[in-house]
Amino acid sequence: MSFVTIADAGFAPENDAPTRETRLAPVANASTDLESALAACASGDRNGLRLIFDSEAGRLVAVAERIVRRRDLAEEVVQEAFIRVWTHARQYAPERGSARGWVTAIVRNRALNMLRDGREDLIGEDRLETLQETDQIDQILAAWNKLDRNSRLRECLGTLDETKRNGILMAYVGGYTHGEIAGRLRIPLGTTKSWIRRGLAALRECMA
Amino acid sequence: MKYARQDIAEIADEYVLGLLEPGEQAEMEAEMESDPDLRAAVAMSRERFLPLDVGAEPAGIDKALWERIEAALPVLGGSVDEKSARGRPSNDNRQTAWRHAALSAIAASLLLAVGLGVSLTRSVEPLVIAVLLNDRGEVQAVVEDFGNENASVRLLTDYQVPSDKTIQVWTLPSRDMGPMSLGLLEGARSASLKAPELPQPKDAQLYELTLEQAGGSPTGRPTGPILAKGFAKLTR
Repeated sequence: MSFVTIADAGFAPENDAPTRETRLAPVANASTDLESALAACASGDRNGLRLIFDSEAGRLVAVAERIVRRRDLAEEVVQEAFIRVWTHARQYAPERGSARGWVTAIVRNRALNMLRDGREDLIGEDRLETLQETDQIDQILAAWNKLDRNSRLRECLGTLDETKRNGILMAYVGGYTHGEIAGRLRIPLGTTKSWIRRGLAALRECMA
Repeated sequence: MKYARQDIAEIADEYVLGLLEPGEQAEMEAEMESDPDLRAAVAMSRERFLPLDVGAEPAGIDKALWERIEAALPVLGGSVDEKSARGRPSNDNRQTAWRHAALSAIAASLLLAVGLGVSLTRSVEPLVIAVLLNDRGEVQAVVEDFGNENASVRLLTDYQVPSDKTIQVWTLPSRDMGPMSLGLLEGARSASLKAPELPQPKDAQLYELTLEQAGGSPTGRPTGPILAKGFAKLTR
């Protein structure tokens, strides 16, 4: 029995590359540089990781901080994520999406897991205690406004009811659970779940 | 295949948004290994939402962060590394890892036996013993809690503790009370701790080691990465 099978089963499996769709094209041209940098990491060249760090670390700390709410924890997340990028770089393939998306997903998962782990046992109430609630939610919702004017995601989020849009942003940007979203938006849990689900379906359709 | 094809896009979105319950998430991650459609749906969902992260205002980065990363990088290219890296999809599910670690009864019971062996050679009996595992299910330490404000931590692995960090020992006497510090380790050495006065340790009480800044957690609650954790067993 291996202790890592389930644990490591996951977000970027190796075989059977998915059918690539045009939407999977790199989000930015910078991604091609990142792909080369990941290839360098895979061959054991630390300069590759340094390149990724120089171009992405600031943004990644910000992404993690929106989820874990504390700068020191966000840096911890990014530090662990970069080590993972280094050790798993050879598993990256363009079929998995953009290099930037791959690296970002590693950071997001680390941050979410730190949060969920803490929530379930030790760090418990920390997040609520330190939460500057209103600022935090404003900041999360602002992520939508900051999207590029021509962004399809911006436009499609704009077509959703405000509540659905806010729920989706709180989950993705801020790492909120269904329960937390229900509490903040003051709507019942079941309703929250089905609104978010419908919002996501509408978003998929709009972006297809 | 576990999921109906028409549900795949939905579950992929909920996974990417972090909305799945831990059990659902673990199931989904296991399923992704054998379901290429599911993997493709997750990749698409990630790319759909990525602009929200690309647009984040970059934080100012201290060069110390790079130095910490570089100092912690393992050397690649060893045969063991290569094998394990290839065999493992690049996921990052710490929580599932911990869950799995907790389930690794074999390792835990073996080490529990070691812990018991240790304790039997002493005159004062601990009330509980906790075997602490890392997220890979590897045994890292044994905590013996004597319940009279004395606890001992026996490290069974070599930790590299940076000079500005310290290992802190925690327990969770109850959810209401929250996590309580049992004390700090000096460097990475086993130690007897003078703990604060706490309720009598119970069966299945959680014990944990975290890496905190030197002098211990500034908040009085664990803030750093979890090095190892485990649930106590009453000694019989």
